[in-house]
Amino acid sequence: MELKDISTKTKNTWCPGCPNFMIMAGVKNAIVKSKKARDDFALVTGIGCHAKLFDYLNLNGINSLHGRVLPTCLGIKKAKPELTVLGFSGDGDAYAEGMEHLIHAARFDLDYNYFVHNNQVFALTVGQPTPVSEIGYTDKTTPGGVKVYPINPLKIMLASGATFVARVYAEPKQVEWVMTQAMKHKGFSFVEILQPCLVFHPQTAIYKDKCYSLEKEGHDKSDFDAAWEKAEEFDYNVAKKIPTGVFYQVVRKKIE
Amino acid sequence: MRYNILFGGEAGQGPNVLTNVLGEALVKLGYFVFYSRDYQSLIRGGHNFNVLTFSEFPVYSNDSKMDIVVSIDEATAKIHEHDLKSDGVLLNGEYKNMYFAGAVFKSLGLPFGSLENELKILEKRFEENIKDAKGGYEKVETHFKIVKSKNNKGIFVDGNEGISEGAIDSGLDMYYAYPMTPATSVLMQLAGKENDHDYFTMELENEISVINATIGSAMTGEIAMCGTSGGGFDLMTEGFSLAGIAGVPVTIFLSQRPGPGTGVATYTAQGDLNIARHAGHGEFNRVVFAPGDPTQAYELTNQALYFSQKFGIPSIILSDKHLGESFYTISSWPEIKKVKKIRKLKRYNSYEKDSDGSATENPKIVEENVLERKEVGLEIEKESFNFLKYEIFGNKKSKNVIVSWGSTKGAIIDAIKDLDVKFIQIKYIEPFPIELTGEFGENLILIENSATGQLGGVIAEKTGVMIKDENMILRFDGRPFLCDELKRELEGKLK
Repeated sequence: MELKDISTKTKNTWCPGCPNFMIMAGVKNAIVKSKKARDDFALVTGIGCHAKLFDYLNLNGINSLHGRVLPTCLGIKKAKPELTVLGFSGDGDAYAEGMEHLIHAARFDLDYNYFVHNNQVFALTVGQPTPVSEIGYTDKTTPGGVKVYPINPLKIMLASGATFVARVYAEPKQVEWVMTQAMKHKGFSFVEILQPCLVFHPQTAIYKDKCYSLEKEGHDKSDFDAAWEKAEEFDYNVAKKIPTGVFYQVVRKKIE
Repeated sequence: MRYNILFGGEAGQGPNVLTNVLGEALVKLGYFVFYSRDYQSLIRGGHNFNVLTFSEFPVYSNDSKMDIVVSIDEATAKIHEHDLKSDGVLLNGEYKNMYFAGAVFKSLGLPFGSLENELKILEKRFEENIKDAKGGYEKVETHFKIVKSKNNKGIFVDGNEGISEGAIDSGLDMYYAYPMTPATSVLMQLAGKENDHDYFTMELENEISVINATIGSAMTGEIAMCGTSGGGFDLMTEGFSLAGIAGVPVTIFLSQRPGPGTGVATYTAQGDLNIARHAGHGEFNRVVFAPGDPTQAYELTNQALYFSQKFGIPSIILSDKHLGESFYTISSWPEIKKVKKIRKLKRYNSYEKDSDGSATENPKIVEENVLERKEVGLEIEKESFNFLKYEIFGNKKSKNVIVSWGSTKGAIIDAIKDLDVKFIQIKYIEPFPIELTGEFGENLILIENSATGQLGGVIAEKTGVMIKDENMILRFDGRPFLCDELKRELEGKLK
């Protein structure tokens, strides 16, 4: 399989310079280098800027509904266990509209992969706050600024029993690397990709310089307490240091 | 001859096992048996009862007056004393449920051997059950001289078995659900048999997940189905609409109970006809089929799966608590064909899509897509003529014409036996059999378990024929129609 086999002719409508381009480059590389055939994959996207990935990536699957990526992945995987199922969502999809599915996907621990483009804003609907927007974030719907703390999705995933919990920055090499790890993982893989929205949430562009690699630091990804501690380092509110890489990975014993 | 026996007791005292055992025994003795369940939304205590009606001729409904009232607890006798006919028998006292099985059998003058046989099949607590049953059989006198059966060879099934057996025999691959009365027993029946077949069942976190998982599986070409009741179906409508635009063949078993809201959770109604027809935003194709008995439930499940696969559309099998949880005597499941799988995974979209499967806003392509869906709608309508969209019973030349749909079929068939009435039972709600307009007589009567007579609205919309308010027989207290009451009410409306 070559890059052209998984590309479409559809005109790309992401904003110039959007980190989604970086994510897509990493995704395409991971797919091409996986040595699988095109029809070995099923792609499911939600609704939002991330979902345009479906239009630019020539894979079978569905550009599904807002928040419903995970149950759709489940249905595909249960029907065709031989497929590598790739689910993509935004933070609105994953953490607002579809939060219940996220928790249960961790519980079911079926072998599909979930990549959340987190820009901490509803971008395609022009800038409203999501459950992970920082305190003080303002837009026309929230002129007084956000007055509640953001949730920490990584802690939710760890608490829900997810067996693969990772975060990367929207940079092709990191995305390719984490996606390759996720696809190899036997069980539900949760990957958050920090993807600053340059139009509606440019303040998060500083994240790139705050990120550091857990692997380089010698983090033990089989250690739940260490993973929890690392997940607490970035609270989505004030960015000091942002750990990236695989926080936690275990293989849970399947009950027959 | 038509005998009615009421079995009442607290939840947990075993009125259902008792009714089942007697029903099965009577069916094996060659009688036709029907029984319905009236139970409250609680686990232990309360007042639950079943009414069993049997005859040497087919029966599909209960009557209001009882020949025997079996009171396992003290309350039943008090509550149902006034339901007893003047020559009826009250069987009560502090006994176990199977004592009453023996007592009923003796009271009817039936041989103990066939009861013993049923208790053997039941297995559980056999020694105690047989002792209890013997006690009842010895204690009670024979009260009725019942007509001999005509040795009918039947099986005893509930309406939901029609759905689950129909799904299995059509080639079901997966069934997803979240528990909700009165749809849950289909999940139970399918889960109980899944080790003997190739399909699987799965309970998910909510109905939103259920419909989207069904869509995910169906996209790959497998035969996928899910089940729920009104409230759960409301949650599914977003996914239902997705299946409509994406062309994904999903089949929803929608079993009605009284709404709105939580309504009356364990009782029956036909108030969801309109939501089944209109659920989901936007304009898209669907079929809605409404069975009136277990055999039709079996056939229409097969047909719903067939239409979904053939045309890439969502389908609804619209049933209710009364049909789903009542037991009927049928000869055997009819012949059906396995549904052919013709799809494989491709590029689906919740947006209007172009030839690459990518989202598009191009007005020309949008219009083409909409026209293509309209074209499929016409094909569906054409295909529907290969099936019996409605059935006609009674005096086919009568000027008195009843229209109805779904579980009311049983009470209507029983009630019109000696009346000058033609009964049209509509099975295809969508596509609607407009051609039956010619069958409407001068005195058109609607019977429905609802407050507004929703089928009347459909008929007006599709045919222009208006049914007068005074010609609607509606029941909306959560209970099914009873044969004798319905007959009296009908007699007042005939010309």
